[in-house]
Amino acid sequence: MASAYLTHQQKVLRLYKKSLRHLESWCIFRDKYRFYACLLRARFDENKGEKDMVKATMMLKSGEEEFWANQHPQPYIFPDSPGGTSYERYECYKVPEWVLDHWHPSEKAMYPDYFSKREQWKKLRMQKRSTSLL
Amino acid sequence: MLNKAIEMNTLTSPLHLTSCMILVFFILSYPILTSLSPKPLKTDWAISHVKKAVKLAFFTSLLPLFLFLNQGTETIMTDWKWMGTDTFNLCISLKFDFFSTIFTPIALFVTWSILEFASWYMHTDPNMNRFFKYLLIFLIAMIILVTANNMFQLFIGWEGVGIMSFLLIGWWYGRTDANTAALQAVLYNRVGDIGLIFTMAWFATNLNSWDLQQVFTASKDMDLTFPLLGLIIAATGKSAQFGLHPWLPSAMEGPTPVSALLHSSTMVVAGIFLLVRMSPLLENNPTALTTCLCLGALTTLFTATCALTQNDIKKIVAFSTSSQLGLMMVTIGLNQPQLAFLHICTHAFFKAMLFLCSGSIIHSLNDEQDIRKMGGMNHLVPFTSSCLTLGSLALTGTPFLAGFFSKDAIIEALNTSYLNAWALVLTLLATSFTAVYSLRIVFFVSMGNPRFTPLSPINENNPTVINPIKRLAWGSIIAGLLITSNVLPMKTPVMSMPPLLKLAALTVTLLGVLTAIELASLTNKQFKTTPNLTAHHFSNMLGFFPAIIHRLTPKLNLVLGQTIAAQTVDQTWLEKTGPKAIVSLNEPLIKTTNNIQQGMIKTYLSLFFFTLAMALLLLLT
Repeated sequence: MASAYLTHQQKVLRLYKKSLRHLESWCIFRDKYRFYACLLRARFDENKGEKDMVKATMMLKSGEEEFWANQHPQPYIFPDSPGGTSYERYECYKVPEWVLDHWHPSEKAMYPDYFSKREQWKKLRMQKRSTSLL
Repeated sequence: MLNKAIEMNTLTSPLHLTSCMILVFFILSYPILTSLSPKPLKTDWAISHVKKAVKLAFFTSLLPLFLFLNQGTETIMTDWKWMGTDTFNLCISLKFDFFSTIFTPIALFVTWSILEFASWYMHTDPNMNRFFKYLLIFLIAMIILVTANNMFQLFIGWEGVGIMSFLLIGWWYGRTDANTAALQAVLYNRVGDIGLIFTMAWFATNLNSWDLQQVFTASKDMDLTFPLLGLIIAATGKSAQFGLHPWLPSAMEGPTPVSALLHSSTMVVAGIFLLVRMSPLLENNPTALTTCLCLGALTTLFTATCALTQNDIKKIVAFSTSSQLGLMMVTIGLNQPQLAFLHICTHAFFKAMLFLCSGSIIHSLNDEQDIRKMGGMNHLVPFTSSCLTLGSLALTGTPFLAGFFSKDAIIEALNTSYLNAWALVLTLLATSFTAVYSLRIVFFVSMGNPRFTPLSPINENNPTVINPIKRLAWGSIIAGLLITSNVLPMKTPVMSMPPLLKLAALTVTLLGVLTAIELASLTNKQFKTTPNLTAHHFSNMLGFFPAIIHRLTPKLNLVLGQTIAAQTVDQTWLEKTGPKAIVSLNEPLIKTTNNIQQGMIKTYLSLFFFTLAMALLLLLT
């Protein structure tokens, strides 16, 4: 059940994942990366059984500071992720779905299965709108 | 009989030259004009009309080139007078001299190859016809710029290429970064345009003309520092010199054909071309020449430093372009405009080829542009990676490839001149950095094992990709040799120099390559090298120049706006000089008057009668 606050586990895992990604940006060759990734995992695993929450939070804080100091200035971002080179590239070609209502009947006849269910789908959407927030 | 033939030839060759060049304009404009009809364009209009037009225009422009090389024909054609007074006229005036006759075929050849490549790269794009139309309008504007004989026509071409650059960088306008980059290009170019417009105004008021011939003759004994500085500012904006350079790496947001055509071969050299055209004015002005030299040296080193740690293949090539433009500026500062022009021509070939190879690799890897996720392309796309290596070798000035003839000549001229030693050191350092980042590209892209997931079948079976790269590869090999063997140098180069100076460029490049190989082999090793993070961050974040300037300028403007609103309007106009001022001026008067009249009637009456009595006494006695 997601809430507004992150749990300690979520924070630690997020720190681990982003440090792995930045490590990947620094260590370009896979074998070298694997070596240092194993070392990083060992560092995290060493303290994973910590029961004292204060100490765990302090360790997390120092970990975040170490990450900030050692991060890569141009981390590798996947092309389709936010900040990537082809993110939002095809937004200008996307058309809103109400345009489908303006198709000529001869064009609609090319996709009979979809259009036969479309009216029903629109009715469902109107019903849902009154009950849900989306 | 032979004499008569020669006489006929010399009489008619200017006519042939002019006719062919005008025909080039018409061939290029025909697809644009026919696309204005309401009939929708055919799906293959881009290939059947645009590419064919450019190819035809290239072959047409070869005749003027051969006429020029054979007989030295140069013409100036002045046509329709648009407007003017008795003494100042604006005409369409085309100058087909050494620079424009050689540049036009090269630009058309490179554009032809890029258009053929773009028909593969953009084939999934629904608006491909519009893309080709934009590229064609850009090409026409560029040729107008190059053949202009007056400043006004040059300005038309100048603005034309700027606008098309904006439209093409922002091709995928759904992307925020693309819009930012396009706006950045326009704004930085505009700042440079201030210089050009200032120079035009200076020419109009002091020399009473915008015609290049009159400008050159009328300015013989004048102090031209101000207009030349204006031209240098214009070149700084258009050719991405230090200070107005961030738009060029950001312009890589556009599709690869745009980067290959505009931002490597043609548009960015417009600023340098302007200075080459105005070189008769620059010759006698040491201030302007020194500015060019120092600015160019700073640019070439700074951008080469930034290129060292970039990870996006297109950004590395963009910074490489910027570095070479700095080198061209250095050449102009050495008073060698012809060498700068030679470098423009050879650079067009191998830089466009580098971009096309990068584009081919990017497309094969499903739009992956980061070199950290490439590798092993040597085995997967052998021809493309060979051409990448060839282009890099030409870029670094490997003996007897295209880049050697221009780059080595520039370094020799720099070494044997008695000018700024600081500029010399910077340029040599930048030359070694060129070798370093070129090797970096080849090492991470072609060598080693693949670091990407094998998703798409990578092949080189499409002739639409291979043929353009092949043509440009031939150009990268023989263009330098062809141009230098057919064209006489305008200034005598220094023929004899100590061996160290002669081999300086080669030595420095080799040192760079060896350093790069050593550093590259370190990336493979297991021991943890602690990189000098400060230097790495300086290089990676582009010297923090964009980070600072892009926030400082708006911040200063906003603070100024706030000062105007708060201090000037609210405090000054309203409080100190306006309505509240009336209050503050009147208040003391009111208070004084109020204090005097306290309502003490008896005191006032007694004082009045006392004064009256005194006055009467004085009168009566």
